[in-house]
Amino acid sequence: MATPTSGSLPYTDTKPVGSADFYFAINSTFRFILGRFGRDGWIRYLTDLGTGYYAPVNTQWKQGGLPAVAAYWRAFFAAEPGAVVEVVEHPDRVELSVRECPLIKHLRAHGREPVREFCQHCYHLGSARAGAAGLTMRLSGGDGACVHTYARSATNLPAQDLNQIKENRP
Amino acid sequence: MIGCYDFCGHYEWTFGWFERVGGHTLVRAYWDEAINQDSQTHARDLIKAEGIPGMLKYWGHTLTEESPELGFTISHQKDVFRIDFHDCPSRGFLLRNELKNYRDYCDHCMGWTGPMLKDCGFQIDHEHNHCGQCWWEIRPTGTPGGHSPVGSVAGDKDSRLLPNWLPPGARLDRYTKANDPDQKTL
Repeated sequence: MATPTSGSLPYTDTKPVGSADFYFAINSTFRFILGRFGRDGWIRYLTDLGTGYYAPVNTQWKQGGLPAVAAYWRAFFAAEPGAVVEVVEHPDRVELSVRECPLIKHLRAHGREPVREFCQHCYHLGSARAGAAGLTMRLSGGDGACVHTYARSATNLPAQDLNQIKENRP
Repeated sequence: MIGCYDFCGHYEWTFGWFERVGGHTLVRAYWDEAINQDSQTHARDLIKAEGIPGMLKYWGHTLTEESPELGFTISHQKDVFRIDFHDCPSRGFLLRNELKNYRDYCDHCMGWTGPMLKDCGFQIDHEHNHCGQCWWEIRPTGTPGGHSPVGSVAGDKDSRLLPNWLPPGARLDRYTKANDPDQKTL
């Protein structure tokens, strides 16, 4: 097994943080899928990724509830270079206050234009993962700073308004 | 959010998704259009402008970031740039975490660098063992040579000298003067 940086991450590496240049490839992958399959195909990709690749995380969340969600995101952002994020655990929800998104920051710093829908990926992916764990996910903000909420499904959250997620404009 | 820490994991998963959705043609198109022509334009620009010195700058930077423990060696002589991977950070991540959603992850390297280097005027000689060890020799297109004798370019860092170069059951993929991920002999 890899040297774990935290027991909360299902896949671990021998280095403590990732290589930020990989953010270029994530953005380019989105652009390729959006160009070939349109928005619906891109959402299908993110949903499949969320329920497939991330299945071990979803299982952790299902078994461990909100404390497992909070622990995962703390470990996750500790391994992302340049992230400035506060993870707050409430009795009925976990909130991630992303003050500096490492992805948007790195893309912009290197003159790479995020796809317009970029910030919505966190909602479609997060929602698929939360759903598999019996939770609900909501997102507001975007383009470098946002708030993610993971809540028990029983919590009465308003429906997601995709207009609350900022598009990425040049 | 999709992260860069486990990038190789979801990148490999994505190859499998593309193959299921659009077959091998779509996987090849992804490596060329998304990775070569979009994500890695900084590599193309550097190598097209500077040739082998550009390769030194690009791979020297990117491999040090990906593999701070230096599981690789870069060497070069006139008209040949060579990388020996003793412990590929990318393939190693997948093996350690037991991740496999696509039939041959190692093909992705030739999938994007092949077309990129062709456009820059270079050809590739290469072997990989699917276990995290490989070597690459990159020469200007039309230059004689290729598959240099063991140790003649990289000295004792030549991957073919490793005791785990051909472990039992390993399958070696071999490329000669290639720029295409499917241009291999087994």
